[in-house]
Amino acid sequence: VNELVLHVRDQVTGIARTFALTLYYTFRGRLDRRAVLVQMFEIGNRSLFFILVTLAFLGAILNFQTSFQAKRLIGDVSLVGPAELPLLMRNLGPALCGLMVATRVGTGIAAEIGSMVVTEQVDALRMCNAQPVDYLVKPRFIASIVMIPVLSTLGILTAWMAGLLVSVTVFQVNPATYLNFNLVHLSDALEGFTKTLVFGMTIPVIAAHSGFEARGGSEGVGSATTQSVVNASLAVIILDFLIGGIAFVIRAG
Amino acid sequence: VRALLLRLGAAFYAVAEEVGGLAIFAGGVAQRLFPPRLDRFETLRNFYKVGVKSLPIVAVTAAFAGATAVIQSGLYVVRFRAYEVVGWAFGYAVFREIGPLLIGLMFSGRVGANNTAELGTMTVTEQVDALRALAIDPVSYLVLPRLLSMVVMMTLLNTVGDLCALGGGVLTGKYLVGVDHWVFWNSFLEYIRLGDFLNGMVKATCFGLAIGLVSCYFGLSVRGGATAVGRAVNASVVASAVGIFVLDYFITYLLK
Repeated sequence: VNELVLHVRDQVTGIARTFALTLYYTFRGRLDRRAVLVQMFEIGNRSLFFILVTLAFLGAILNFQTSFQAKRLIGDVSLVGPAELPLLMRNLGPALCGLMVATRVGTGIAAEIGSMVVTEQVDALRMCNAQPVDYLVKPRFIASIVMIPVLSTLGILTAWMAGLLVSVTVFQVNPATYLNFNLVHLSDALEGFTKTLVFGMTIPVIAAHSGFEARGGSEGVGSATTQSVVNASLAVIILDFLIGGIAFVIRAG
Repeated sequence: VRALLLRLGAAFYAVAEEVGGLAIFAGGVAQRLFPPRLDRFETLRNFYKVGVKSLPIVAVTAAFAGATAVIQSGLYVVRFRAYEVVGWAFGYAVFREIGPLLIGLMFSGRVGANNTAELGTMTVTEQVDALRALAIDPVSYLVLPRLLSMVVMMTLLNTVGDLCALGGGVLTGKYLVGVDHWVFWNSFLEYIRLGDFLNGMVKATCFGLAIGLVSCYFGLSVRGGATAVGRAVNASVVASAVGIFVLDYFITYLLK
């Protein structure tokens, strides 16, 4: 247990340090626009397909589960579509999208930076007086802050449309009944958006931190990548709970 | 347009190649099951590594997932003063769906990625070829114990995770939403059947199998050096996540 506590403390302080450095360089120094655009393509376009597929399945599953329950308890499935949308916007969309980005993009960043560390390219950067955080993490940080909210919005829409497909084909719901925004509140959208912004800030920093920690050969890169998935997913789940809790207190109180 | 079509075709080929390779690999594994020949020491080592080492992460994930489920349903519960349904909403969502799903994704990140990294390193450093040179079949020596331990441990961890989620849910319900734990408990017992729990368990077992197959396949098919191992881990987690969602959909559909 002692070892575990020490490990968690090491990770948290290390991530906080990387985060602070990233913030520092984001507001200081020049911005390499080209690098940011390349990373936006890498993070956004390259993971779009993966995120849309997974979120579409999520939407279909969610619709099945709620429709079965609604049929059993109320005997009416017409409210499922409108009631699902706020839930997707507030919680499931951002959280699952964050997890997917953490696995797709987070591991990518960790593997890339990890192999650069192992092959001493990062040391070479230091020798050229280029700060690794400034040069490597900053473009990814900015790109993911922009792209994760976009990906998440598209993902939520896809999930809802997948739900529409299930509702119409399996439960014979009229599409006009399903496409109803009455139950959505502005605060749902705000909560979801805040979550995606926060995930966009944390995932690249955590992944980069794991990448910089890589030591040794291919084994080091492998374990750095593993560590980045675990840390980033855990961060997404914990932050989802914290932001959700704060939003709940604000809205209920 | 032609470039787009070409790229689409290339992407399709890549996916088809992975799926086909995976199917052949799964066939090879199934062939080695009869007669089953397991290395006992390797199996026990993997049980420990897969199960005990990922217990803390699964427990934490499940507790937070349960807490989040209660918060999200709490909004409706408070608005309609329907305190007696919170246990039902929690139990149904977490035991059937969110629990296995999130535990599966975490498991894939912790165990699956680790497994791919380990097998990938062994492949890259030619340890797998060394096994072959010693007339030891890598699939039955390396893959079978890992697969077995992942299937068994995923099922068990899901059970432990459900308990942790229940703990997290009850605590959040009491201190944040303001539902007494007895109200929560009664509603939970009233509406949640053993079937809900078993449904989640079936899902967890299937996820364990999928994660095991995918992570071993990507680990053994690494070519190149350190960069290739990192990329293989990335591909393996992505494929596992897609597999988990697709399986989840079909199991949900079949087990209504």
